[in-house]
Amino acid sequence: MKKKLMSVLLAGTMVLSLAACGETSADTATTSDNTAADAQTETQAETTAEAPAATEEAAPAAEATGSFDPVRLLNGKPEIDAQMQALAAKYQEETGNVLTVETIGGDTNASDELKKMYQADNMPDIFVIEANQADTWDGMLADLAGEDWTNKTGFELVNDSMGTIGFPYTVEATALGYNADLLKAAGVDPATLTSPAAWQAACETLDSKKDELGITAVFGWCAEPANLGWSSGTHVFGQYLDAGLKADDTTYIDLLNDGGKIDEARMKSFAEFIGMMNKYSDPALLVDGTYDLQVAGFKEGKYVFITQGNWCVTSPDDVTFECGFAPYAFEDGINTIIAGPPSYWVAYADGNVDGAKAFFNWCAGDSAQNILVNEAGLVSPFDDCQYEAINPFYKSMKSYIDAGNYSGWHTMLKKDGLQNVTCQVFADYAKGSLDADSFTSTMAQVIASYYAQ
Amino acid sequence: MSTFSIGRKVFSFASLIIGIVLTIWGLGVAIAKGGPLYANRGALMVIGVLLFILGLYLFPTLTHHRAIVNIIFLFPLLFAFAVTVIIPLVLGIGYSFTDWNGIKMKGFVGLANYARMFRQPSFLWSILITFLFVLFNMILVNLVAFLLALLCTSKIKGLGFFRASYFLPNLIGGIVLGYIWQFIFSNVVTKFTGTYSMLSDTKTAFIAIIIVYIWQYAGYIMLIYITGLNTIPGDVLEASSIDGANPMQTLFNIKIPMIAPTITICTFLTLTSAFKQFDVNLALTNGTGSVPSFLGNYLTNGTEMLALNIYSTAVINNEYAFGEAKAVLFFIILATVSIIQVRISNKKEVEL
Repeated sequence: MKKKLMSVLLAGTMVLSLAACGETSADTATTSDNTAADAQTETQAETTAEAPAATEEAAPAAEATGSFDPVRLLNGKPEIDAQMQALAAKYQEETGNVLTVETIGGDTNASDELKKMYQADNMPDIFVIEANQADTWDGMLADLAGEDWTNKTGFELVNDSMGTIGFPYTVEATALGYNADLLKAAGVDPATLTSPAAWQAACETLDSKKDELGITAVFGWCAEPANLGWSSGTHVFGQYLDAGLKADDTTYIDLLNDGGKIDEARMKSFAEFIGMMNKYSDPALLVDGTYDLQVAGFKEGKYVFITQGNWCVTSPDDVTFECGFAPYAFEDGINTIIAGPPSYWVAYADGNVDGAKAFFNWCAGDSAQNILVNEAGLVSPFDDCQYEAINPFYKSMKSYIDAGNYSGWHTMLKKDGLQNVTCQVFADYAKGSLDADSFTSTMAQVIASYYAQ
Repeated sequence: MSTFSIGRKVFSFASLIIGIVLTIWGLGVAIAKGGPLYANRGALMVIGVLLFILGLYLFPTLTHHRAIVNIIFLFPLLFAFAVTVIIPLVLGIGYSFTDWNGIKMKGFVGLANYARMFRQPSFLWSILITFLFVLFNMILVNLVAFLLALLCTSKIKGLGFFRASYFLPNLIGGIVLGYIWQFIFSNVVTKFTGTYSMLSDTKTAFIAIIIVYIWQYAGYIMLIYITGLNTIPGDVLEASSIDGANPMQTLFNIKIPMIAPTITICTFLTLTSAFKQFDVNLALTNGTGSVPSFLGNYLTNGTEMLALNIYSTAVINNEYAFGEAKAVLFFIILATVSIIQVRISNKKEVEL
């Protein structure tokens, strides 16, 4: 009898474990995000007397009159998750439509997560991509041409084969951020920093007044490759590609993407400029530093310049001084900063395209911009936006953009992973194992061999 | 006359057939992404499989009944093994012959991925330093662990404390460990040396990874050695001391031969785990480090080991199929080395 009981028990356990296996596989299609659950209950409350929208898969079948089905948005900026949830609530309040925001961040990057979602047939309707990822999604993104919002901005992402695909949700700028108060105290006018000679003179002045100004070094520049490779390999390298060019000028990115060619003369001038930055940088930060140290040093007034963008100081409360941008003037007359959307929201063609379009049009409007600009601290890409961004760099950014002195983020169009190769060359240069000439030749060689792979 | 009733026969066959139909239906609508009862495809499949198993259990046979029961009991394990190991392995090998980028597959490329990886200097470098890393680690980890084990089986005071503290690093995850040591190397060590951190130069960064790895892994291997040393019968040691053997002779002629099986296990463990080194590598250096000239190229992945190289090929550079091809090679290397190692060690044990 005992034996029988035991066998029944064992068999029961086995069946249960099997059932448990099966259940999870059946459930993977629905999101476990808690916001999704909220959205579902909201959907049910709304679609009274409609087809029962119990699960997410069943929802698209339910055709709600006068409004759109729930839209899922994959947000790639974890720092603005709370504001995105507020945006979704506002959207529902004003239009009655549901927007579910899922945020990817921390250690997972959005493009990696999206691949998993695609394989699991669990694609969001709107997701975030960087410009060079458009080709990965070739033929799968909806063409948004002709939508109202496209008339209000020049920053949309246009792809050769898919048309207007990207909705710009923010504008970011990068150049050499400066501490205006320190420059003023040292008697350096940032507007004159448009030639290598002027930069050299400014660096010498600032360096000689180190004690007087209470600074550690002129530049807060960090070429550490393991964690800050994106900064040197993508952003600083981007200055070689775009500095001094008009926003739609793709001369050097085209050259680069044509098998990894570089303009040696331009790269040499760029190298000399970087050499100057290396010379006047804080040695403790230059090779071994971290992003946190770099930004903290700038905020504390230890560095006059920082090689980051407007994202490094987001709130006026963070700094006690005025911030601005100066161009990487490695050639005479360079007077542009790089400005534009670093990433875009796109609509998945097989998803709820109409719902996504409706959301984009609403998002370009006043109430959405209010949240994105004033609460999330983003810079609006739309011409008719009436809100002044709170970002301390905004005034400087706007002056460049209004004067047309801005270049594109073409560095985002380089081959995937190139930054991991070039950042090492910056690091070697910073360490002193390369000089300007060997920096140029090494850069040429590693880029060419990377493109050849 | 049959030993089975008609009812049982009918029930068994019906369950089998309905089970198969439901399973195929479930699979069918899942693959076609639509169709009748699409929302219940999971339930369909589970009920189908359960019915099939029930039918199998009641199958009217006496000779094979025991075998069927065995299979049914093995099923959950086999299923889990197939889903998590066998199917991904087969799919992975399949993908390595394509140009899959994680999303789309344009076509088959034959052996192009395999040919390409042997022409990529950075990958060859990764193979080279992985082998070097394995060699250093296999020797050093075992040496350090064995010495620690000898220490922890001697008669010193506070044994429990030493054992626990040597083992503790192994309980910290590799990523956390990597970041802790990154801080130590770039913020603490530099204060004493006054130069750039060890991590900024390829050679010293490689040494740094080895140090961290030994620190992490030696405690674990030490525990196994301690167990091994404790299994040596006391009377043998007593006999040797009566015969006048000094501690060195006891160590080399009695202790080490007696724990040969433990040495086999430990070498095997360090060998495979060093080959698969990933997390410390990622967190500590992320594969950076320059090599001025390797096969005529300036390399920028000086400390990137095989596993990390595969990861960055697939995930960072968006070349999933190419990464798969490298992973297949990785699998072959690992399998070959492990088999050879176990064979050799087994032979040795018999001789000893």
